[in-house]
Amino acid sequence: MRHRRAVVVLTVLLLLGIVLGLVGTGCSTSQPAAPAADANTRIATLQRSNSLLQRQIDLASGKDFYLVLDPAAGDITLMLRGAELQRYTVLGLTVGQPRVAWLSRPDPTLWQDVVWAHGELDPPRQIDRLVVQAAPPGKEGAEEVAQVPPTPEEMYPVPSRYHVRFDNGLSIEIRPLESDTQAGRWTKLRAWLGAKWHDAKEAAFDRERDAVRLRVALNPKDAASLYRSLPPAVRLIILSGEQAAAPKLAPKPVPVSTPAK
Amino acid sequence: MDPSPSSPTGSHAPPAAAGPEPAPRPRPARPTAPAPAAPAPVRRPGRVPLNRRAIAVAGTTGIVLLAIGIAWGGTGYRYDPYIEMQPAVAGKVPATDKELKQLATRLERRSRDLTAKLKTTAPRGVYIVIDQTQNRLYLKRDEETLLDARCSAGSGMVLKETGGKNRQWVFDTPRGRFEVLALLRNPVWAKPDWAFVEDGQPIPKNPADRLESGTLGEYALYFGNGFMIHGTLYERLLGRAVSHGCIRVGRDDLRKVWANARLGMRIYIY
Repeated sequence: MRHRRAVVVLTVLLLLGIVLGLVGTGCSTSQPAAPAADANTRIATLQRSNSLLQRQIDLASGKDFYLVLDPAAGDITLMLRGAELQRYTVLGLTVGQPRVAWLSRPDPTLWQDVVWAHGELDPPRQIDRLVVQAAPPGKEGAEEVAQVPPTPEEMYPVPSRYHVRFDNGLSIEIRPLESDTQAGRWTKLRAWLGAKWHDAKEAAFDRERDAVRLRVALNPKDAASLYRSLPPAVRLIILSGEQAAAPKLAPKPVPVSTPAK
Repeated sequence: MDPSPSSPTGSHAPPAAAGPEPAPRPRPARPTAPAPAAPAPVRRPGRVPLNRRAIAVAGTTGIVLLAIGIAWGGTGYRYDPYIEMQPAVAGKVPATDKELKQLATRLERRSRDLTAKLKTTAPRGVYIVIDQTQNRLYLKRDEETLLDARCSAGSGMVLKETGGKNRQWVFDTPRGRFEVLALLRNPVWAKPDWAFVEDGQPIPKNPADRLESGTLGEYALYFGNGFMIHGTLYERLLGRAVSHGCIRVGRDDLRKVWANARLGMRIYIY
């Protein structure tokens, strides 16, 4: 009888030991899983970072102008061959994706990991060229040209919002931030309705156009400057990182904002 | 004979002779007699007769319009805050910790190499940036702006020659990266053909007749294909696109540019 009881107790203890052992093993095996996941994330981040660096080097080696959008630093820089030409402070950055009747389209490409190519202004900047027919030699001089030519501001009126459209349905929409707060209610409503109408039309009927649209808010002066200065066939690269939660309300001074001499 | 209105002969029947009242006027003949008019329905004030079909049509139209409105309201672009996509490991994931560490070390080394290589693409020392649309010249060193000056870039004008070779010139400033190829003090302008064509003057055969001094200011930085950064006689036009493709700068600013200029200095024009 005693022996039997002892056997039962021993069996129970043995089973308990096995269970505890298994639990312990489970815990010990689950703990290294976290460092492995961390290591994978680190490797993935390093791979992306290297890939971005390589693309920047490729862009800097080419002859095209390119924009570098840095969400973490909150700026967009126009560059050529590694030289910074002009830097603009980004006050807000959102991603727009088309939807029809409340149904969103699936994300078409890994747009963050590619270089956007052939960016053109929409509406385009119109160049009004003066054509002068020279007088034959010995006669009166060429046709009289206007005494004081227009300033860049007079030559190139800037729309309230504009796009830079790239290949593969990628685009950025530039909009001045301050004008929204300065405008009256009626003006705001009209602008909102106009934008809504255009957006709905493009989303519904022009499927190829803006599959991904980055909306970049700049201060009005910078938005106008970028519109006047953006060269044709520009490219764009998005650097790693995200923008801080709150948009910067006081932009840092940039060269273009300094008063003219 | 009864002169009834329906009688075919009634229209030509003579009126009745006697009597103070005039005889009834004869009516044209009709094949059948008109039906007596039905009594008008009695409408009670405040009640409108309901037409079920009209209600159905109006209701359906309303529902369709509402559906279209709701669908249109949800058509357009949905904007969300920018979020970076999570990166995924490209290629084969290492199985052991040792392999993971080795890969991470390799990637870190490559990252350092690439960062160093990227830095070499940036211009070294002082360089010039020209915004030809807004007619601004910047003198920069790394991220520091040493000078922000007004200038005059190409006007974009098209000049057409009459007679002769019927040539055409477009006065644009080129875009791209250039280098200072020559530094000229008190430069003398060798006027090209277009300068004579524009003024309606014959093109001289003697090269010496093309030379003009004083027009280009105190200094000039030549960067190829006949283009220069130089001074101007028309400082009041600075900030406007008036040149024939060269970059005109005011005297004081040109002196600052000259003080920093060297052969091979980079010029970026956009």
